[in-house]
Amino acid sequence: MDTLATDEIIVERALTGDAEAFGELVHRWERRIFALTYGMLGREEDARDATQETFLAAFRNLRGFRGEAKVSSWLHRIAVNQCISRQRRSKVRSESALEEEHETSFTTPFAHSPAHVAEGRQETAAVRRAINSLPVELRQVVVMKEFEELTFREIADALDLPLSTVKSRLYTALKQLQMRLQKFESRN
Amino acid sequence: MNEIQNSPGCERASDLIAFLYGEADEGEALDFQLHLQQCNSCRDEVASFGDVRESITAWRDEALAGFVSTPMSAQPKAKSALAALRQFFDLSPLWLKGATALAAITFCVLAGWALFKSNNEVISKNPDAVYTAQDVNRIVKEALAQQPRVQPPAEAPSPENVAVNSRKPKPKSSRTASQSARSQRPLSKEEREQLAAELRLLSSDDSTLHLLGDRINQ
Repeated sequence: MDTLATDEIIVERALTGDAEAFGELVHRWERRIFALTYGMLGREEDARDATQETFLAAFRNLRGFRGEAKVSSWLHRIAVNQCISRQRRSKVRSESALEEEHETSFTTPFAHSPAHVAEGRQETAAVRRAINSLPVELRQVVVMKEFEELTFREIADALDLPLSTVKSRLYTALKQLQMRLQKFESRN
Repeated sequence: MNEIQNSPGCERASDLIAFLYGEADEGEALDFQLHLQQCNSCRDEVASFGDVRESITAWRDEALAGFVSTPMSAQPKAKSALAALRQFFDLSPLWLKGATALAAITFCVLAGWALFKSNNEVISKNPDAVYTAQDVNRIVKEALAQQPRVQPPAEAPSPENVAVNSRKPKPKSSRTASQSARSQRPLSKEEREQLAAELRLLSSDDSTLHLLGDRINQ
């Protein structure tokens, strides 16, 4: 709750021309927004771009923020919209090409040992593939929950959905992920 | 108990999710734990969903381990207008870039066309408009001749002028420009004679005529 009040104060300061204020807001939320965009897009580079776009859009629309929702919900909503529009734009790219990019760009920076690399690469690739294959409405809920650890209420506010819808979507998403990961395990 | 265990799907999916993520309150959690002891379906799902969550968490931790603060966290307000514009174009979709470029080109073409048209209009009025100084003088003279004449301010009447004016036919404004100009210079001999005759001051003696001329010319 303290965070909520502080976010609102930061936004107020930014609106009154405090040059540092918006930077504080970015610093506070960028990691979580990056987590969201990464979970939604599955690619670090895209996630970074989407995170930047999210904060730019927030900055441009700062005066439009009426304080009816939490700053965090507002930012998440912008981030989700950024991801969705980015995915629409990149739809021209084939899924296979995207997969190849993921194989190289995603796993390389986080490698540890050769054995771990192979195992980790397979596992993370499977999870990423499974999440990427989810419909957007399911993916955004599972990412907001798992990557950002938002509460059901926060997700509902950010996506403007009833609480029951958030729960049912999350249940469906987990069910589909479970089935896809089982398929992956049975293949290996 | 067996009925619940064999059911393919349980109606308590919502409670399961709340329990799984620790968002059920104490009473709800206790109630669902009791339910789990009876429901194989929910028990299996809680276990398998837990595995899925672990996999996602592993992926998330790997992904976020490489997270470094982006340059975006620097003060966005400190950006110059040019940098902001550049960033705007960088982030703009292709159609917006195209539309902006088209608008700029259209503006330039219209501005150029308007400029060309205005120049053309001036030229078309005088297609051979090469003027010499003489031409200019002639045009100015013609223009002045066409303008209505403005009466010079009345001078204080001298005795001579009064005499001359009293004999001049009216209206005085009918005097030509040459007559007016003549009054400003010394009169020639013929003029003096004519004037003297008019004033009946002419004598047969030429010397008096000269004197008279001098007097008139004073």
